[in-house]
Amino acid sequence: MVSENELLKKFLKDAFEKGLIEAVMAPAATEDSYTYALVTKKEDVDKLTPIAPVMQWNGADMLRRITKLKKSERKLFAILRPCEARTFKELVKFNQINPENIIVLTYDCPGTIHARNYKHDKVPAEELIAEIKKGGKNEKIRESCKVCEYPVPIPGVGDIGMGIVNTTEPVFFSLSDTGKEFLSAMQIQEGSRDADSWVKMHRERREKWLEEERITGGRKGIEEFLSSCLNCHNCKDMCPICFCKECFFEDHTVFDYESPKYFNWADDKDGIRLPTDKTLFHIGRLIHMGTSCIGCGLCQQACPMDIPLYRLFGIVGNDLQKVFDYKPGVNDDIPPVMDFREDELHEFEGLFGGEE
Amino acid sequence: MSEEKFDPVIVGFFCNWCTSAAADLAGTARLHYPPNIRPIRVMCSSTVDPVYLIRALQEGADATILGGCHPGDCHYITGNYKARRRVAIVKTVLKSLGFDDTRVLLEWISGSEGPKFARVMNEYTSYIKERGPCDFKYIDSLGGD
Ligand code: SF4
Ligand code: SF4
Ligand code: SF4
Ligand code: FES
Repeated sequence: MVSENELLKKFLKDAFEKGLIEAVMAPAATEDSYTYALVTKKEDVDKLTPIAPVMQWNGADMLRRITKLKKSERKLFAILRPCEARTFKELVKFNQINPENIIVLTYDCPGTIHARNYKHDKVPAEELIAEIKKGGKNEKIRESCKVCEYPVPIPGVGDIGMGIVNTTEPVFFSLSDTGKEFLSAMQIQEGSRDADSWVKMHRERREKWLEEERITGGRKGIEEFLSSCLNCHNCKDMCPICFCKECFFEDHTVFDYESPKYFNWADDKDGIRLPTDKTLFHIGRLIHMGTSCIGCGLCQQACPMDIPLYRLFGIVGNDLQKVFDYKPGVNDDIPPVMDFREDELHEFEGLFGGEE
Repeated sequence: MSEEKFDPVIVGFFCNWCTSAAADLAGTARLHYPPNIRPIRVMCSSTVDPVYLIRALQEGADATILGGCHPGDCHYITGNYKARRRVAIVKTVLKSLGFDDTRVLLEWISGSEGPKFARVMNEYTSYIKERGPCDFKYIDSLGGD
């Protein structure tokens, strides 16, 4: 039996041959990790590892870069994990990606290994995939992968899905009209598989995680959680939702102070920690983008101090998303920060909720 | 810190067209409201980046108020609806992390509601007095308990 990766590479070569695509974006192996790669020739497809065991960057962020100044000039086929496909959808809503000429394939996700761990323990993709075929998930994958809410292709999010769990042979199915036409042009019969109980396993873990890993206790809780934070902003740099050209928290007109300010603070607060504004950065980032946190967990992977940041962003993000009944990247709902209703949220008005 | 009498600082971001006008009206009508309120005039409730609400707490305010025109009456048509979403976000983040979310208050007070302005300021000041000092200002400091 051919592996999923071999099957996908054959799929891509066929698509090139049939003239259905002109470029592919997918992961490719490096010395001790995986990068994203863009190839434009059938001969280069073998350099790719469509399902890679490491996610260094969010693929949607790469598509944002490619289409930032000009829409994709070639028919681009992108292979994304489900969280990246949801990010793609979310970034399209924020006008950060022009989806024209881009076809997205996504798949039942085996999860990914923390990029730093992979350097020391190279778990091959095949090992991760074998695990999901048995209905489970490898224990070495990242925290966010273990508690992923949507580890599968969703109709309307991307164009083509590949089912791997609970099926002897992988199946392809369409997620959009474009995907439907594409599969029929490829002469691929659409198939199906039942992933419900596999998804349920993730959701149960997630519920437990939401309950157990919450950061509580106000000042003490957040300070303890962030106590080793370097204020390096890597978490923000790797976050695909933090796409601002200039981050508010790096604005020197706001965060540079004259020396008396420092001394006055030290007077008032009985000593201050330096550099300043560290916790404000995290709480502020939550306020800015928490409603659209997609759950990719790349903030956590980026942290040089191993702070389990997804517990902060995923759990507070979940609370925020509940307020607006919003699930980022799974449907066409408008992101909460871009929208409003005239009659809503009265419980946040006045001191005790609701106006007199 | 001596705790004999707690005199809170409450920073109010009041929109130019409604809540600031109400403050002026309360003043000219000699309606009393506490000196604890430190008003900042903003053009519209929507011009306040929500981070400034917690920023004020970090600077030492014990509470913050965002005051705007009543829904439907915003001078810029929809600014206050956006402001309401932002306040909902700030309060949710605070609560989620175990902070006191009542330290952020959203109020709609129109230019003609001088008496309402005075009443809300009085009520909120006594509420915060009851509540005691806010420990948010000690975040990233060596002080507080
Ligand atoms: S906050 Fe973290 S988990 Fe959420 S979208 Fe950004 S990088 Fe991904
Ligand atoms: S923290 Fe806020 S300002 Fe900075 S990049 Fe993220 S969303 Fe933009
Ligand atoms: S990546 Fe880690 S150390 Fe750097 S700012 Fe974020 S939480 Fe702090
Ligand atoms: S002008 Fe008053 S809320 Fe917009």
